[in-house]
Amino acid sequence: MALRAAAFALLCCAAVPASAQLGAATQSPPPDGVAEGAGAGNPRGRYHALDALPDWGGIWFVSAGASGGGAPPAIPKLKGEYLQRYQAWRAEVAANAGVVRRTRSNCSPPGMPRIMRLAQYPYEFLFTPGRVTINQEAWMQTRTIWTDGRAHKEDPDPTFMGDSIGHWEGDTLVVDTIGISDAIELDTGMPHSARFHLTERIHLSADDPDVLVNEMRMEDPEALEEPFEVTVRYRRDRHGSLIEFQCAENDRNPIDEEGNTQFL
Amino acid sequence: MKLLAKLALAGIVLSPLPSLAHHSYAMFDMQKTVALQATVVRFKWQNPHAFIELDATSRGGTERWAIEMTSPNNLAQEGWRRTSLKQGDRVTVWVHPLRTGARGGSYVGVRLPNGSTLGEVS
Repeated sequence: MALRAAAFALLCCAAVPASAQLGAATQSPPPDGVAEGAGAGNPRGRYHALDALPDWGGIWFVSAGASGGGAPPAIPKLKGEYLQRYQAWRAEVAANAGVVRRTRSNCSPPGMPRIMRLAQYPYEFLFTPGRVTINQEAWMQTRTIWTDGRAHKEDPDPTFMGDSIGHWEGDTLVVDTIGISDAIELDTGMPHSARFHLTERIHLSADDPDVLVNEMRMEDPEALEEPFEVTVRYRRDRHGSLIEFQCAENDRNPIDEEGNTQFL
Repeated sequence: MKLLAKLALAGIVLSPLPSLAHHSYAMFDMQKTVALQATVVRFKWQNPHAFIELDATSRGGTERWAIEMTSPNNLAQEGWRRTSLKQGDRVTVWVHPLRTGARGGSYVGVRLPNGSTLGEVS
């Protein structure tokens, strides 16, 4: 019995590397471009400066006809293997009665940049010292845009949201994003490379203070023939609030081994 | 005919169907709408899709159907609440049926026991 207890103790401890020290607080150094005592991690005494920022209160919905003017929506011009992959994807969808095969769970969110063009589900833009936080109701997605002067992470891990830094040019928030996973689409069925680079200029409309404008510019030297520019408009719901969206709550549509959506 | 096509197109554009949905709607026959006279078995007000399970009256007796809706977030904007349906309610539900012929469909509209309607009813 004592022997068995000792064996169990050995097993239990072997599962955790001695160096991990689970529960110990991590001590991160200040990011590149941020001095000790400054940056988003040190907000005290800096909240009053937020009053100088424009009024983006309330929640915001992508407005219909976001591309505006009745003109046909602009389409990114892919090239090379990315164009071939997109054409193969289109052919497969057409041959499959419009059914799009999935490689990820149906509860997997679209990621950047598509979430900034998502109809139906609203956004909120939160200002705190040194950062802007964008919450998107669908899948309860959160984007963090660091505005404390830090540089991009060096070789950031590819993620759904990428690595975003921003700064204010007057009343315009200028956001630079890299590090978006190349498993994420830039538009429906359209792949991009690991060098995908997004710039956003977000500001209130000069014509209507209840309209927020996002001028998006996408560049990708491997996947795009030329930079793709699209302007998205959001309309304000001053007293609206985001509703919880837990996709796992009733996920009755799993993916089978063929990539088809099930209906259970 | 041209006008009709235009109207149909406008209908598609304005329809509450998500353009970036949780999943493709290709599993449903979106050109076809059927009306079910039914009794509510269960109403699940949950993400990513609310569901209605109901017993529909058919020639052979009753059939158990599962009706998929959009998300509570979207439905709330159309006037739905989690209390809009309860077990035992006698309703008429309009759905786009599954292409497979299985007893499931995508929600279009409903006539509630008090005669009021939500969504598109014909």
